[in-house]
Amino acid sequence: MTTASVPAGDRSVLERSPAARLPDRALRYGLTGLAALILALIAFFFVRLVGESQPALSRFGVFGFALHNDWNVSLDHFGALPLLVGTLVTSFLALIIGVPVAVATALFITELCPRRIRTPVTILIELLAAVPSVVYGLWGIFFLAPKLLPAEKWVAAKLSFLPYVGGGTVTVPNQFVTGLVLAIMILPIVSAISREVMATVPADQKEAALSLGATRWEMIRIAVLPYCRSGIVGGAMLGLGRAIGETIAVTILIGDSPVLGHQLFGQGYTLAAVIANEFGEASGLHRSALFAAGLVLFVLTLVVNGIARYFVLRAARGTRVAPDKAGPDADAGAAAAVGA
Amino acid sequence: MNPSRNLVALSATALLSVALAACGSSSSTSSTSGGTTVNGAGSTFAAPVYQQWGSQVSGVTVNYQAVGSGAGITALETKTANFGASDPPLKPADETAIAKNGSPAVEIPMFLGAITASYNVPGVKTGLKLDGMTLADIFLGKVKTWSDPEIKALNPGLTLPSTPITTIHRSDSSGTTAGFTGFLAAVDPEFKTKVGSGKDVNWPGGTGAKGNAGVAGAVAQTSGSIGYVEQAYALQHGFTYASVKNKAGNFVAPSLASATAAAEGVVVPANLGFAISNPSGAQAYPITSQTFIVVNKDLCKAGASAAVAKGVVAFITYGLSGGQSVLSQADYAALPATILAKAKTASTGLVCNGATVSAA
Amino acid sequence: MTPLPADVLAAFAPSAARRRRDRAARGVIAGLTVLALIPLVLLVYYLLRKGLGSWSGSFFTTDPTGATFFKNVSIGGIKSAILGTIEMVALASAIAIPIGVGVAVWLVEYGRAGAFANVVRFFVDVLTGVPSIVFGLFIYITLVITGLVGRGLAGYKGSLALALLMLPVVIRSSEVILLLVPNSLREAALALGAPRWKVISRIVIPTALPGMITGVLLAVARASGETAPLLFTVGGANKTTLGLGAQVNALPLQIYNDIISPTTAVINRAWGAALTLVVMILVLNLIARLTSRRSRVA
Repeated sequence: MTTASVPAGDRSVLERSPAARLPDRALRYGLTGLAALILALIAFFFVRLVGESQPALSRFGVFGFALHNDWNVSLDHFGALPLLVGTLVTSFLALIIGVPVAVATALFITELCPRRIRTPVTILIELLAAVPSVVYGLWGIFFLAPKLLPAEKWVAAKLSFLPYVGGGTVTVPNQFVTGLVLAIMILPIVSAISREVMATVPADQKEAALSLGATRWEMIRIAVLPYCRSGIVGGAMLGLGRAIGETIAVTILIGDSPVLGHQLFGQGYTLAAVIANEFGEASGLHRSALFAAGLVLFVLTLVVNGIARYFVLRAARGTRVAPDKAGPDADAGAAAAVGA
Repeated sequence: MNPSRNLVALSATALLSVALAACGSSSSTSSTSGGTTVNGAGSTFAAPVYQQWGSQVSGVTVNYQAVGSGAGITALETKTANFGASDPPLKPADETAIAKNGSPAVEIPMFLGAITASYNVPGVKTGLKLDGMTLADIFLGKVKTWSDPEIKALNPGLTLPSTPITTIHRSDSSGTTAGFTGFLAAVDPEFKTKVGSGKDVNWPGGTGAKGNAGVAGAVAQTSGSIGYVEQAYALQHGFTYASVKNKAGNFVAPSLASATAAAEGVVVPANLGFAISNPSGAQAYPITSQTFIVVNKDLCKAGASAAVAKGVVAFITYGLSGGQSVLSQADYAALPATILAKAKTASTGLVCNGATVSAA
Repeated sequence: MTPLPADVLAAFAPSAARRRRDRAARGVIAGLTVLALIPLVLLVYYLLRKGLGSWSGSFFTTDPTGATFFKNVSIGGIKSAILGTIEMVALASAIAIPIGVGVAVWLVEYGRAGAFANVVRFFVDVLTGVPSIVFGLFIYITLVITGLVGRGLAGYKGSLALALLMLPVVIRSSEVILLLVPNSLREAALALGAPRWKVISRIVIPTALPGMITGVLLAVARASGETAPLLFTVGGANKTTLGLGAQVNALPLQIYNDIISPTTAVINRAWGAALTLVVMILVLNLIARLTSRRSRVA
């Protein structure tokens, strides 16, 4: 069929007048401006943060500040090592406890549970994310921490030969409880991402394993888990990022003691908690040190989230299948999981 | 029109209207039935009283932020608050910084509070006596158990268990810490050099808790513990607290009367910035803290509107008159008469652009 | 077709050991799932048990008095906290939603896979990961202590911090939904001669609307529960103020301040306030879920 082209003279009938093109132009430039606004905002944000941290960082040096073990407000010594260690300890604790459980829930929902209870269980897990941080802190400090105290004391006594876990004073707000509550808080996001990735495992892979005589668990082990590794790692890193930045629940539960070397069941401090606690009080060098702590926190979450997105995108790219299941869907799915 | 569009339109309108209402009625002195709004910030120790006074002063809505003495001074310096509240008196650096706002700083003492050494020792319900040196040694970690001879020497009549001592201190910056460490540093040179005194010190060992309430809670939960807690909080928890030996050699229990007695005879400088440190009165409780309200002398020159200035003065005036009588309801102690008179004089000296502010 | 003889089939059946491992593994997975749900059950139970007791008519209609120590004075309810949260979140939404949806529309319709768009996407990701307290710090150093908009703590400054928090979530979720609108719809409209802006406003956005509303409501729910951005920006008023130009109260702030009180009555109020907050968020989540059911694309 020959394509008929519109005669030149008639083409002008279809063209839009310059005035009619104006709203389009306005919309385009307006929205582009908005997008540029986001960039400007973050750049400004970063610059201000660095500016405010300058006094402390120039006094102690960047590495001196981050790695020196001495947070002493009255003497104006600010080394953030105890805070950094506390942040990493509680976050990794949250990972160790939370990720296996989250992956298990994802496996349960996608592979093992009867279709009827799939949605209710999913909704229940999502509900964990709906609870605000301050309510977790409230529940943790008044219910969970006191309830766990006898068990913690028993463990500390029984394992007193272990250097970090045993011995030492067991306090009600402590690093372990903080890590536990953080694990509960990151559970929904790690579970959601794991579920997303598990749902994209090609059915033929699973069926092939089953048809070769694998049991359900073997099928999971052979076909599902290796396929989802990237995605699960990405989800775990996102959870880590969330745990690192968590402020309010941690402030309430960790006991706020900037001394390095406490036991697992003793008090600690994190970067976010120190800002929440001391900022209202701070002035001069102290305040600048807190901004520097905020900067360290910001950079840390940036790095962790960057790694997370790398893994999740890698998983998403791996799931791009036949052309009819076009790229944007898979990306959208992964992006939805990532943006959730 | 399909229902989801309706829903969207409705919710959008609702959101917008609330937002517009919020924006539209905003102003820096907005108010409801309370007239002017006055913002204060500072001491957590004084917070319960200021909150209560605020609700009693008519025609003024007082928003008080219990962020700690240091933050209160900073808030006044940066003009984010109309008045600051601090337990320790102003340092010269603070005075200069506040004066930068256009008018010199005025600190007005408001009331007193005893800082108790509250303990939780099995078998010892009342009557524990301690002195400054022993307290310092306990918090330095030199005295480790309750049956230590140093404690026994002061309490011959008590059976003390050999439970290990857990010291509880404040993890956040606080005027209460300043008061307690001020006393210990005054009586024990070793404490002064090893730990020092101030709102935030590095304690050698012990457990930290947040706020007076946090320390109170920790003492209640830890057997064998001792912590320093504002008297009001100690009484709220039904604590046992020690009688402390004062300079005159008497063991005095913290009470409203002994706290007021501590301020009698203290040297009050011209700017009223006194600090009770190891008072010499016979019945004085040695660990007593004072608390001030800090404002600029000329409130309006420093940026407050006339209405706000009036509100601040009304608040302070109420506090120094009717407010003193409700202090005992919350277990705080009133100023002795001489200091109260000086405080009242200072409050009448507050001006707005040169003109005296009437509290009416 | 004849079935295989039983003994041949038996040769393919998993051994007892494998079957045991299979059962054990499934048991562990199911067990861990139950373990994951236990905190939720405990939390809800405890919230209801301690929070319901505080709920009463006066709880919702009186402001907190701040007189937490005085023996014969009531401590009041949480009216100003509820109203403050609603106002602040409404203002934050009014700021974050138009900007967020606008940027998402730009990313999908104009930027697409271009270099600038990828840079914007990267920065939105950066924003997603920022801890909420850092937003509060940012607003503090730019708006609270400088003379830019008037010094001091104010409700609208807290709203701005919350808006910063909501922005990346709104952008992300809107972008995802907008991408799911079939291109055929756009092309059909364009082929019929509709200008770009009409395609966007009349075709794309209405199609994506239910999904976007879901995303927005989830962002709103998250903002309602945040405490950290409000710590240094909003102050803590007791009385209800209808304008956001002064210090306001907020539910998460009220709970946070009440937690450290020694008075049992105040702690009970904290539980009641926590229950109220959780109920508000759950309602938002429910509406979000119901709206997503109506979605025509996802």
